[in-house]
Amino acid sequence: MERTRSNEDWKTCFAQLGPALLLFARRWANCRADAEDIVQEAFVRFWRHQHSIEDRALLYTTVRSTALDRLRSEQRRSRREAAAARDGAEHFEPQFTTVDEGQQVLAAAVERLPDEQREVVILKIWNELTFAEIAGILEISQNTAASRYRYALGALRKTLQPHE
Amino acid sequence: MNDFSELEAELKQLRPVPVRDELFARIERLLLQPDAAPIAGVLPRPSRHGLWWSIGLGLSGATALVLLGLGFFAKPQTEPTVTQNPTPPAASLTSGFRPATLSQVVYRQRDEGLVFSPNQSERLLRRVRYDTRETMQWRNPQTGASLRVSYPAEQVVLTPVSFQ
Repeated sequence: MERTRSNEDWKTCFAQLGPALLLFARRWANCRADAEDIVQEAFVRFWRHQHSIEDRALLYTTVRSTALDRLRSEQRRSRREAAAARDGAEHFEPQFTTVDEGQQVLAAAVERLPDEQREVVILKIWNELTFAEIAGILEISQNTAASRYRYALGALRKTLQPHE
Repeated sequence: MNDFSELEAELKQLRPVPVRDELFARIERLLLQPDAAPIAGVLPRPSRHGLWWSIGLGLSGATALVLLGLGFFAKPQTEPTVTQNPTPPAASLTSGFRPATLSQVVYRQRDEGLVFSPNQSERLLRRVRYDTRETMQWRNPQTGASLRVSYPAEQVVLTPVSFQ
């Protein structure tokens, strides 16, 4: 039986899951503040519905659908503004805390991955979801999720290999 | 399992930037408000209890319609018919959802000939069997979401026959 969740429980959960949720939400955000808005709305909605925090796939699905809803509601924005926002992504604040140059290079390589590969890597590495869960969240097949992951890691390794 | 294990370990060493205190404060404010969060996009999952109620009430509504239509079906028809009922089959089902439409499609009918009444053995009846598909739809005007239940049904109509 599910125990009653106290007000403090969400803080513990969010402290643990929040950074990865933000990382995931950035695909649909123009800046960190937008990503925070998405995560805030999704997390509040998820928590209020008393879903089990163990159901992380549902939490990520909520983040994704919240982000897509926001995008749809912002259709008034012109294509030009969207393109400008994508260009602006280059000026995003760092998404990882790095301790040395090797990690900085790796973090930069992750940020340069194509969106559809990057989101699979984020869900797999920093959220430890299975390919089945990832497939459910992204509405793709398990094979597609697994192959995007392999392509992403292949690309990262290629980037990190020392040049001859 | 794969040859990316070293790279995966390096990626796991990367830590996403932590959540800002401001975001914690915003979420806390929202969670302390009684049910004031914006609800859009992701629907609360309808409870199984509510769904069964929906199906039960829908079936009752459909049965009532069929009984009312007995006179209409007394003569065999050759073409499939569709009946549309813009009025709801029942009152509000789950919170926020309102009945929208009910349709009954007769896609096959078979005249099984004359039979004796099971109660009054000397009385002749014509037995006609109808294969139908009944569809009920509910709509939530606040979120724009809709819920549709569709199921096959079989109706047997006995019509008294008189000889001149």
